Amino acid sequence: MKRFIYPAFFIMLFISGIIITNSFTTVQKPGKDKLPENVKSIVDKSCFGCHNSESTNDDAKEALDFNTFNELRKVRKITKLKEIGETLTEGEMPPKKFLEKFPEKNLTDEERQALITWTKSETDRLIKN
Amino acid sequence: MKWFIRILLILVVIFIILQFFRPERITEEITADHIFEQEDIPEEIRSLLVKSCLDCHSMQTRYLWYHRIMPASYLVNNHITGGREDLNLSYWGKMEQMQKLTALDKMCEEVENGNMPLKSYLLLHPGAKFSDEEKEIFCNWIENMNESILIQMIE
Repeated sequence: MKRFIYPAFFIMLFISGIIITNSFTTVQKPGKDKLPENVKSIVDKSCFGCHNSESTNDDAKEALDFNTFNELRKVRKITKLKEIGETLTEGEMPPKKFLEKFPEKNLTDEERQALITWTKSETDRLIKN
Repeated sequence: MKWFIRILLILVVIFIILQFFRPERITEEITADHIFEQEDIPEEIRSLLVKSCLDCHSMQTRYLWYHRIMPASYLVNNHITGGREDLNLSYWGKMEQMQKLTALDKMCEEVENGNMPLKSYLLLHPGAKFSDEEKEIFCNWIENMNESILIQMIE
């Protein structure tokens, strides 16, 4: 009998281990981590400071929250992506007042373009899915 | 007492002069491009749009008597030109599918979080405020509209 109990015990331990680690990894997924790596680093540098769930800037948080972005409905995501693209193209973001304080957080032309390209490709992907 | 009458007189004169600089009223007849002509919209939603949105977001503004008086006409005119610039439902037929999709979604968002109608508009049109129930009906209609627009975009 013992011959069966030991292997069975180890197999169960192994399976429960897999289940536990899996459940941890699925819980720990803030929306921002779903962004492509190049976009994420730019967002972290220039956008996330105001556009996050704990932001004290209520207007910024209401307009766009990168923590919850991934939970939005498809159409709302498309709308937000369009707005991101427009504010970046028109040079409205990051705001001038903010840049006076933190000039190092400004976007380079390449970074701005990378974000705009992302909004377009992500929109196309969302429409097709 | 004399200075008081003088100041009052100056203010009256300024007020009268201001009346000569009234901004022009621009309205148009409904054309085939209007959202009401383009889409099959339930009566409930139509009346919400008329009541709360179309005074600024269309070419068919219902002007009231005080809109003729400066400086009220100036403030109102600013809202109307701004509103039409952001979204003009009289030209719905000229918009692309993508614009329609995001415009509708934005309408739902702005109404849901209470940014629209503007507070200054509600001050003079108290009936234009969306109740929670109206917000829900409005956003449900928009979701249905957007589902069919999305399907058309994929095709």
